[in-house]
Amino acid sequence: MRNLAIIAFLLLGLTSTPAGAATTSWRSLTPAQQEALAPLSQQWDSLPEQQQHRMLKTAKRYPNLTPEQKSRFRDRLEAWSKLTPEQRDAAREKYRAFSKVPAEKREQVKRMVRQNQEAKVQQSASGVPAAPPPLQP
Amino acid sequence: MNTNTNLPNENSRHIAPERIAQLLTRAAQQLDDNTVTALRHARNVALQRQSLSEPVFALSTGHSIRWLLPHSTHQWMAAIILFVAILFGGVSYWQHTHENDLSHLDTAILTDDLPLEVFVD
Repeated sequence: MRNLAIIAFLLLGLTSTPAGAATTSWRSLTPAQQEALAPLSQQWDSLPEQQQHRMLKTAKRYPNLTPEQKSRFRDRLEAWSKLTPEQRDAAREKYRAFSKVPAEKREQVKRMVRQNQEAKVQQSASGVPAAPPPLQP
Repeated sequence: MNTNTNLPNENSRHIAPERIAQLLTRAAQQLDDNTVTALRHARNVALQRQSLSEPVFALSTGHSIRWLLPHSTHQWMAAIILFVAILFGGVSYWQHTHENDLSHLDTAILTDDLPLEVFVD
């Protein structure tokens, strides 16, 4: 009975290791990790351990990105880290669903989004509301 | 004198098995019909009981299952440790794959040419 209790304890200890570990301080990160996660340097120490763990996993892919992708990554990282776990899960689900859409339709959506963004930029520059972009058939 | 008293024992020790079989056959031939029938019936009943309680197939399967089951406390402990190790390995593998998928997805969202707002409510 005592042995069974020890085994159960070991099992719990082993399976809960990633969630139960302590947070990692910004100073203890490697220069490569600090470069990838630079936009989070201020709030890093206050992030929950699980989020830190996931961010570190994501940062591993940073060196393999193109310069343009690196720039997007850094620009979006702070906003991404401020989302709630539920919002991040919902975003992942949306992205997954969007990846399954045929390439042609995806391009169409991307064009619409780009036109929308350009219209917004023009609007903020001139102060006059721009006409919405025409819908593609 | 001593030789005479020891003779039956010595004889019984040195009788060949074939001789015993012959003696038994001759003795059996001298039995009356009722006794032979009763003996044959008893033999058949005994054989039937044996085949009912221990059929050949069940005997072999039961044996192999029993052989697989742990017999002692130590074997039980070893089996439990093995089970825990396999379970832990499976959970770790699943966790690793799941985390890899998530980090791949997160990187894709953070670097996609569509802005983040498209995917965030």
